[in-house]
Amino acid sequence: MQYAPTIDMSLALTLALRGLTLLGVLLVVLALVVVSLGATGFSDRVLNAVIREELRGIREGLARTIRDPDQLEQALATRKQVLEQQYGLDRPWYYRLPDTAQRVLTLDLGEARSLRSSSGSARVSDILIERIPRTLALVTTATFITAILGLWLGVKLATRAGSKLDRLVSYMSAASYALPAWWMGILLILVFAFYIRVFPSGGMYSAPPPPGGVSRALDFAWHALLPVITLVLVTLGAWVYVVRTMVLNTAQEFFVTVARAKGLPEGTVMRRYILRVAAPPILTNLVLALTGSIGGAILTETVFNWPGMGRLYYEAILAADEGVIVALTFLFTLLYVAARFLLEVFYVTLDPRVRYS
Amino acid sequence: MPAREVWRILWSSASGKAGVLFLSLLVLVSLLVVLTFPRSFGLQRWNNPVYWADNPKSAPPSWTRLLGGQGVHHQVLVAQPKPATFAGQEVALASFTYSFLGPQPPTFISFSLAEVTYVRLPPVLTLAVERPDGREVALYQHIVPGPRPGENGPYVRYGETPFRALLSEDPSAVQDLASFLRQHFGQDTTPQRLRGKVEAALFGTPTPAGEFAPLPGTYTFTIRALAQDPGDAVGQVRLVLGGSTYGLMGTDALGRDLARGLLFGFPVALTIGIVTSLISTFIGTFLGIISGYTGGRTDTVIQRSCDVLNNIPLLPILIFLIFILGQRLWLVVAILAFFGWPGLTIVTRSMVLQIRSGQLVEATRSLGASRWRIMFRHILFQIAPFVLAQMIFFTPAAILAEAGLSFLGLGDVSIPTWGQILEQGFQTGAVYLGYWWWVLPPGLLIVATAMTFVLITLGLEPVVNPRLRQTR
Repeated sequence: MQYAPTIDMSLALTLALRGLTLLGVLLVVLALVVVSLGATGFSDRVLNAVIREELRGIREGLARTIRDPDQLEQALATRKQVLEQQYGLDRPWYYRLPDTAQRVLTLDLGEARSLRSSSGSARVSDILIERIPRTLALVTTATFITAILGLWLGVKLATRAGSKLDRLVSYMSAASYALPAWWMGILLILVFAFYIRVFPSGGMYSAPPPPGGVSRALDFAWHALLPVITLVLVTLGAWVYVVRTMVLNTAQEFFVTVARAKGLPEGTVMRRYILRVAAPPILTNLVLALTGSIGGAILTETVFNWPGMGRLYYEAILAADEGVIVALTFLFTLLYVAARFLLEVFYVTLDPRVRYS
Repeated sequence: MPAREVWRILWSSASGKAGVLFLSLLVLVSLLVVLTFPRSFGLQRWNNPVYWADNPKSAPPSWTRLLGGQGVHHQVLVAQPKPATFAGQEVALASFTYSFLGPQPPTFISFSLAEVTYVRLPPVLTLAVERPDGREVALYQHIVPGPRPGENGPYVRYGETPFRALLSEDPSAVQDLASFLRQHFGQDTTPQRLRGKVEAALFGTPTPAGEFAPLPGTYTFTIRALAQDPGDAVGQVRLVLGGSTYGLMGTDALGRDLARGLLFGFPVALTIGIVTSLISTFIGTFLGIISGYTGGRTDTVIQRSCDVLNNIPLLPILIFLIFILGQRLWLVVAILAFFGWPGLTIVTRSMVLQIRSGQLVEATRSLGASRWRIMFRHILFQIAPFVLAQMIFFTPAAILAEAGLSFLGLGDVSIPTWGQILEQGFQTGAVYLGYWWWVLPPGLLIVATAMTFVLITLGLEPVVNPRLRQTR
């Protein structure tokens, strides 16, 4: 009982330190984004667009009171000057960095050029927010399936290390490193959507989508299957390899031999003695793979026309919509940092050794 | 470890051997391409639609016909006629024979002229086709543009860009064909109704149903010119009978020869991978050794920056920077190299920490060696095999990242890559139309190239991990 508070303290300290690194990531990305926006004149263009928008409203208001066109133009010009001063457009871009940073942080990036949210809104934040759950649904499902399959296959291979199956899967997991997600997706579309025609080639719902309830959910699952399979196939190799290696390393430890000598059933040895110890290093390896799987998700969504954040990147690039690209870059980093921190919490609870004392 | 020993270990494993062989093949093809392709291939050839105008569009590779597929061979007939010596008389410039085997007629017919020179009056050119049934079709007539006001002879036309007529769609050619059908077969047809059936009509006989039955045999295409003065000349005449298949790898929707685009991708991919990997390995090793050997505040700063950089999701940042800064290949390489080194620095540092406390370093230090000498002579040489393996392992990462970026439409237009070819296929719907020859080979090449480096890394594993060496 006496030690409980100190353990909690060290836990908090460890998490705070990890959190600090992740905060650093966020700040570096923010700085990178903000400085490139300023130095390339993008923030000027955004602000000018905002001012033009405001002036249009002012002109309508003024036109009711001022009849003379020359006077109206003059009044507008002075208003414009005031606004430019207000937004800091009269000074070089680096004076406006804090303001731009705040805009990026709050996703207040004005209106998209041609992209619209499903409710018709042109605001960048509206377009983005509706897409987040779609990407999360795809990625979490795929990660969940990969985790279960990876653990199962990895353990199975570790118990048969050196067998033909083991070597085959090891080679295949090495090969999956060289396999890009988008090409995998194209192959699946070509086979299952073009030649066999059992799955749709893309999208999230059929057109028109079936009316509510079970049929709608089934339609969703039917569309999600190929993208999920793609994501699972490209990440499974790394999982299997890591689980197998870590389980093999742990299985050679003395305490495992002792456990077996005590006559414990093999299932208990595997679960309580091997997997429990191998879990933290497995997690570390997979945490490091997270940055890569974000890239995989972006490309998979693009290939399957899945209307999430990844596909939005492609659409924003095609439409040359800078605001959306800025917002996406920041949001992806934010989501990554959040996911990473969750895993850190998980990791620290799993492995008491990493806590600072 | 001596280089020879590293090589022996690499060559003794099956995957190492396979990797080395693949790599030699990649390098060989790249060298051939660098020596034979023009420097400006990307802008002047690949992204210049005029250059590919005479190729069939979205045509599968020619060898597919061997597998039982039907189709027509692509034929390009070129002649360089001699200058006319007689004036005011029609002379045959060139005559091409084409043996039509049926049943499918050519997919299109196009006729081009280049470098026409005349002294006084523009020559008139005609194209006539003699069919196996003895009938002759006056298919096309072209009058070279006359002198412009203020221009003095001799006049040169079509010097830089050749004149090209796509006879399948040319209104006057369709009109001429319609009147031929009316005259010889009594078929009452209109140019509108002939649209899309020009080849079938030219290489067939009309059936009562209003269709055309193929007429196999030898067709002779004769190009005649009515020149007004001796010395009038046509530099080149060219007749293309479009095939339904093309070349070794087929064509894309613009008629570009995919084999050439794919070949050009070899040196580009290798350069992207190797240059990126070289730079990031250099930075990573350099900073890792300094971090591990120096320790203290330098170590802390380097390690914290590694932690941060290593955690930045690469693709979003890459997309953002390339979008804002411009689509340049060297920028892609620079960004990838800049974000690629932290992982290596962390591992190198931990290796250096072990070596630093070893006897070798202690001995050299007591002999009075400087810090730099210890770091970059004694320590570097001990970790060199590991660094080499890491460098090879990192090479495909850059190739794959560039391909992914190109796939999102952010490729450098002046330098075609495999990723760009795939992206164009994807964007024009080749995947949904089943144009496998367009999307499978570039992806396969990317995978094969990445796999080559993975195989070599696997073969080098015993060098890096001594425990594996003993079990062998």
